[in-house]
Amino acid sequence: MSPVITGVGLAVPGARVPADLLTPPRGAVDPIDPATLLDPRGLRYLDRATQLALCAADPLFAEPDGPLAAPHARRPSARERTAVVVSTNYGNLDTVCHAAATISTASTDALRPMALPNASSNNVASALAIRFGLQGANVTLCNGPTSGLDAVFWAAGMIATGRCDRCLVIGVETTNEVVQRLLDAPAEALFDGAVALVVDDAAGAAAGGTPPLARIVRSWRDGDVAASVKRVLDGEAAPPGVWFTPEDPAAAHVGLLPDVARMDLTRTRGRASGALGVLQCAAAIGWFTGQADALATVGDDHGDGVTTLLLRPVPGGTP
Amino acid sequence: MRVSNQVFDMELRVARNDAFSFGPDDADAVIGTGAVASIGRSVDEIFEAACRGTSGLAPLRRFDTARYRAGAAYEIDDRAGAAHDRPARATSWLLEAVSQALDEAGMGLDLTDVPVVVGTGLRELRSVELRWRDGTDFDVARLHFGTALRERFGATRTYTVSNACSAALYALAMGSDLIGLGMADTVVVAGADSLTESMFGLLDRVQLTAPSSVRPFDRDRHGVLMGEGATAIVLTRDAGRAPQHLVGRVRSTSVGCDAHHMTAPDVGGIARVMREAHARAGVSARDIDVVFLHGTGTRLNDDAEAAALRDVFGRDVTAPLMTAVKSMTGHTSGDSGLLSLVLALRSLATGRVPPVLGLNEATGSASGFRFARGNGAHEGLRCAQVNAFGFGGLNAVAIVDRPASGRS
Repeated sequence: MSPVITGVGLAVPGARVPADLLTPPRGAVDPIDPATLLDPRGLRYLDRATQLALCAADPLFAEPDGPLAAPHARRPSARERTAVVVSTNYGNLDTVCHAAATISTASTDALRPMALPNASSNNVASALAIRFGLQGANVTLCNGPTSGLDAVFWAAGMIATGRCDRCLVIGVETTNEVVQRLLDAPAEALFDGAVALVVDDAAGAAAGGTPPLARIVRSWRDGDVAASVKRVLDGEAAPPGVWFTPEDPAAAHVGLLPDVARMDLTRTRGRASGALGVLQCAAAIGWFTGQADALATVGDDHGDGVTTLLLRPVPGGTP
Repeated sequence: MRVSNQVFDMELRVARNDAFSFGPDDADAVIGTGAVASIGRSVDEIFEAACRGTSGLAPLRRFDTARYRAGAAYEIDDRAGAAHDRPARATSWLLEAVSQALDEAGMGLDLTDVPVVVGTGLRELRSVELRWRDGTDFDVARLHFGTALRERFGATRTYTVSNACSAALYALAMGSDLIGLGMADTVVVAGADSLTESMFGLLDRVQLTAPSSVRPFDRDRHGVLMGEGATAIVLTRDAGRAPQHLVGRVRSTSVGCDAHHMTAPDVGGIARVMREAHARAGVSARDIDVVFLHGTGTRLNDDAEAAALRDVFGRDVTAPLMTAVKSMTGHTSGDSGLLSLVLALRSLATGRVPPVLGLNEATGSASGFRFARGNGAHEGLRCAQVNAFGFGGLNAVAIVDRPASGRS
């Protein structure tokens, strides 16, 4: 069993393809407007996080050669074997806080009933399942700073244990007055977007005629950055060619991997929290130039943990 | 399926069979349990209270009742007459439940290498509400439970899974998978939830009449009320030897999604997950002695759950005992599946099954079901099914059993 990434979808301001993630957006970019990307009628009652996630995932299904298009066209039973893992920490905080405020100044009569699904943080994952008919395991990780790479780990893990054949992974965060106030950060410092990945098994992808974009080599979660990185790189003959570093700039210690180029997506894209790990994987795919691996780490020594992931390019389209 | 890799090296040399054929899962052993709910502060306390038909229903303690139609819930009473709510209550109960489970398992409180998977519907969203509305001091870094789990137990391999009403059984599936992948021999699986005003309020807004209590499967039921609770189990690889403290075994957990509707359940999706749970456990419906129903007391859930049971069990649907503990604990959101599971293990150990409180006449869709009524002991209860179905079509079913040679 060899997990691979077979698709990337982006709803990221100023980034059309993964390679665009490697450089800051050129000039001022408008926030993603889901109503211009998807049928607005289908977006009613969905919160922004859900809308962004749908925008990121849609091309993976809609395009004729999209990695999730073929199985669904040919094998309806594949829907039961396609899982969803969403990573988000702040996605539905606006619904929650506004509802509590409305109640305190009026009563529950003043609430909008259609907000009910958004009061529960699995709303994004469930909306994706309904939109694309995905009946496999449906998991929402709200796991703090490491959540994005934890999501990629669990996608591969659920394929390895046979719970699913492939998995749609989403990392999404939004900015609104609630998030800004709770994080004490202005809108421009916060990531407002979604990234989608398709994780598959190499054999399954090959059988479906879907070329892999990256191989997921190893993942480990530990108590600190040094331990997590060391465990993942243990036994590798060559160092990675790039290291996508955590949100906290102090986390990637100066002494660690001194000869590896670092890329800090937080600096160029804003604080991405639960979406960061997924964003890192997309950026790694855009970065792959030769044979060198890409390393990604989220979390820091003072939080609840650190997760590191190693991605390998796929020479000639086959792992 | 068992593979042995300490690090999750993705180059697993595993031959996988055809996608739809999976053999019986290896069972995992439950060696410790813990729980806190409105009717007790330990699994034994909750179980005894439940068997006596004790209800945790009480007038709302922390919310301004003038702003709601519903006036009661199944809250944990941990306020010493305080006028204000306080943050991090769900976290405090989680830590308590995990401590209890570790104690029963004979383990110390050091979880450095032990993964912890927590299923929750609402995380610490209540604490965020308090900060937003009242300026209460609360760091959003504590929205998920990993921070507190590291502080108390040194745990660093932690996962907070926000999966609505089936979250804790989803967490159980994931914890079992970590064992199955060879990434751990022992995991802690937990659930934890406290009431949020947003969820309680939106449920209040959408229910046609405000329910006065939770009455699962009754003909006159009129909706769900929320409860609070936290539950934890210590799950370990069942290597064939009987551990000293065997509370029971998890034979399988199956998970899925209806992909149908954001709040209404789907009979087909529920039935599918039930069937998969049986297949993974290597049991047939006939082997199930007791079902711990999801039983929220809403018209939609109870009818859908009953229809799915009929579909899967066929004529055998009248054979197993059935109970619905939300009739006493309220709906403890993501925690509820695991709370039912630890009570199911107690039922298998003692032969006693908590009654369905408030059940006067079974609703038509459940006619003929053998609902637990009294406090008598039943012989030969070996295998239980635990149901959990959440908003957004998130479904999970666990099969647990208790071998004859287990601890009594």
